[in-house]
Amino acid sequence: MATITSKPETLVGKRIRRREDPRLITGTATYLDDLKLPGMHHACVVRSPHAAARIKNINVKPALELPGVVAVFTGADVKEVGPVPCAAGLPGLRVPHHHILAQDRVYLVGHPVAVVVATDRYIAADAADLVEVDYQELPAVADPEKALAPGAPAVHPQWPDNVAFTFHQEGGDTAKAFQDAEVVVKQRITSQRLIPTAMETRGVVADWKAGEKSMTLWSSTQVPHLLRTLLAGMLGMPENRLRVITPEVGGAFGSKLNVYAEEALMAFISMRIGKPVKWVESRRENFLCTIHGRGHVDYFELAAMRDGTILGMKLKLIQDLGAFLQLLTPAIPTLSVLMMPGLYKFKNISADIVGAFTNCTPTDAYRGAGRPEATHGIERMVDILAAELKMDPAQIRLKNFVDNDAFPFVTATGLAYDSGNYALPLNTALAEVDYASLRREQQQARQQGKLMGVGISAYGEICAIGPSPATPAGGWESATVKIEPSGKVTVLTGTSPHGQGEETTFAQITADELGVDIDDVLVIHGDTSIVQYGIGTFGSRNTAIGGTALYYALQELKTKIKKFGAVLLDVDEVTLVGGVCVDEKSGRSVSFNQVAAAAYRALKLPPNTEPGLVATHFWEPPNFTFPFGAHIVVTDVDRETGQVSVRRYVAVDDCGKIINPLIVAGQVHGGVAQGLGQALWEQAVYADNGQLLSGELTDYALPRAHMMPWIESSHTITPSPVNPLGVKGVGEAGTIGCSPAVVNSVVDALSPLGVRHIDMPLTPEKIWKLIQEGRA
Amino acid sequence: MKVSGSYLITVAQQRAYELLQDPVVLGKAMPGCDTLERVGEHEYRMKMKMVMASISGLFDGKVRIADLQPHSSFRLIVEGSGKIGFMKGDGLLHLIPAEGGTNVQYEGNVEVGGTIAAVGQRLLDTTARMMIKRFFEKLSAEAAVSATSSPAAKI
Repeated sequence: MATITSKPETLVGKRIRRREDPRLITGTATYLDDLKLPGMHHACVVRSPHAAARIKNINVKPALELPGVVAVFTGADVKEVGPVPCAAGLPGLRVPHHHILAQDRVYLVGHPVAVVVATDRYIAADAADLVEVDYQELPAVADPEKALAPGAPAVHPQWPDNVAFTFHQEGGDTAKAFQDAEVVVKQRITSQRLIPTAMETRGVVADWKAGEKSMTLWSSTQVPHLLRTLLAGMLGMPENRLRVITPEVGGAFGSKLNVYAEEALMAFISMRIGKPVKWVESRRENFLCTIHGRGHVDYFELAAMRDGTILGMKLKLIQDLGAFLQLLTPAIPTLSVLMMPGLYKFKNISADIVGAFTNCTPTDAYRGAGRPEATHGIERMVDILAAELKMDPAQIRLKNFVDNDAFPFVTATGLAYDSGNYALPLNTALAEVDYASLRREQQQARQQGKLMGVGISAYGEICAIGPSPATPAGGWESATVKIEPSGKVTVLTGTSPHGQGEETTFAQITADELGVDIDDVLVIHGDTSIVQYGIGTFGSRNTAIGGTALYYALQELKTKIKKFGAVLLDVDEVTLVGGVCVDEKSGRSVSFNQVAAAAYRALKLPPNTEPGLVATHFWEPPNFTFPFGAHIVVTDVDRETGQVSVRRYVAVDDCGKIINPLIVAGQVHGGVAQGLGQALWEQAVYADNGQLLSGELTDYALPRAHMMPWIESSHTITPSPVNPLGVKGVGEAGTIGCSPAVVNSVVDALSPLGVRHIDMPLTPEKIWKLIQEGRA
Repeated sequence: MKVSGSYLITVAQQRAYELLQDPVVLGKAMPGCDTLERVGEHEYRMKMKMVMASISGLFDGKVRIADLQPHSSFRLIVEGSGKIGFMKGDGLLHLIPAEGGTNVQYEGNVEVGGTIAAVGQRLLDTTARMMIKRFFEKLSAEAAVSATSSPAAKI
């Protein structure tokens, strides 16, 4: 047997180009709308133009008369289908029954009222216009604080106070902290409603095969397995007869971490008409009918000593829930409360959440999901405190950070921060921007009447969501590795990546562990009939949990490979180096492919060993991971126009060990883009009567490429002890760190005019008015 | 959205009052109005085409006239809905004799919903103003025509 030199180079840690990109950028990937099945019909949903109304009558006859229309279904037809599920459980939570089509009442603009099925997409759309719905309009409420006020219209008549739940969390002795405090600062801070706006809208194809009594459902989702389980429940069909396939997903950001009415509706239609049916969401529907993010009104109070030592924090959080509870709607603000201590060591916290129903689109997880809101509040409050005490915002943070020797650090909210060196990224960022000279420059600028600001945020986040006790549906992840007889390697991951790049990073990990060429590794995901049960992709969990499951599956396989290698070399023990099994004594070796072939040919099996090379591992994480970092933003504000321009954006993120710096950079850039969107431009605007006014991309100011500043991104590396890869997660970090740094910077720029706080988005109109008031 | 303003029509108060309630005249003057037919006392069915921003569509609606105070004031209530959403307008019109004719003062509310609200809200204000202006311009033209054809109605 030949001796082969081992492959010394490792891929983990290298800037490997994303292996999924060629198909994405050459138009050869298959997205949902690319699917065409024989006999496929098309559905168009008729939606309510009213935020609240009674349905007096629906006349479907004119629609049915249009040639090509096959069926029209209304609420009465789908009564038997189970409700759209909410998986989040909170004590005393009021969950409105969320039918997949409205019954006798609509609760928000866009509420599905009927669905038209036709042989052609255009006919379906034309016919939808012919459905006559007679509404009796009812009063609506679109603002969470107005919804909670006495006498507000009831979103759900059975709950006239519009309260879905209240939630209290306390740690330490907040009353004493506020008693002992020398200074208390208070501020109302909002995190406005945002529209997640994935480039690809949602879409569903359902194909019921009556003969096989089985359904295949394609959906643009982040959670194929959870969707299968929940959808099977809604439809009352056995889970093993429902196959969910996730084609290429063009962005999601949490908005597809859900189970939507249309998924069940298409399955229902396909069963009724016996044909495959497709529905693809229009952009206008996407703005109205896919979940929104954020929607907080927060009242913060921070207690401190005159030397800047923070003693405690109080928060009253009002969450705008919208009209219904989607999969995780009420759970999102509880994540905000968990994150309240930020990176600081104070141990006294008291938080009250009120979840308010409004006649608006439900809110749910959007990039960061609860953590950006919390971080924005904390980091604004720390700046407000610094301004009150006339302290430097960097110094006050460094003074209050959790000490390096305090890890694992147990917070007032009961979390155990895994590892950290919180001063390091901040000090790195301060050095990067040359903080002292920036402040001198700012002094000079102010003397010349210019408005220049320096803003800091030091953020922490909860990633790798999460240990099963902390999640509604299990927080583990799974991986199967199959070494095929030819030596090619197939990885089946229970995660469902859609832009996070695991086809590359998981191939890197696999190639390194097995010593095979990266091109010999194929990563498959998003098909419940091929891949073992998994949880999916959200909460910056893929690499930390899915990657770890993969790592352990690979270890099992390596043990088995070595057993086969030893049998083939007829020795007791071999070492596995670069994919080659080597007998150290004689120097003889067998190649990876020889072992793979032998394992399947099975002529000679190691003792107590089965043929084949397949391993599956389900990994339950013992804890979350807690990435952190510091962002510094330098802004210039135009006195005449109120325009904010970001001169410098320095991001120093610590996400633990890095598998692929190129992909991490992409995550930071994308995250910052969405953070800037919230800080400066984006806002879902509702009229008082519940009409969404920012209903299209012309009215919703999504960041464009030319609006992005240059992002100076670097990293400190503090490995996580939670998993063997030492990784923490980076999918949401950019968004979480961004918005407070930008707002702190602009408030700093305007502070000579007496400005203490500004709510997002920092539109030129808002800033210009403040400048005018400041001048007066 | 609140709307208010005034417009001078070059006919006397009583004639202006009659014109403003004449379905034939209203049908001609309302921008985009296809048909206006009487369905009851002071109640009309209307089909109109609505164009705003990048969207347009047909509206089926109702026009009602209420709170009649001949010949000084009345309330005009317009409701319509179609595939691009719905609109509701409710306005009080005061007719005040003035030099050269009658000054029509109006104030009211316009509400829109559905796609028109989501897409066109920004343009609603200017669109409403433009439509009101066109309405009165056409009404004036109609007044002039009817004035020539019926000398008795002249000031």
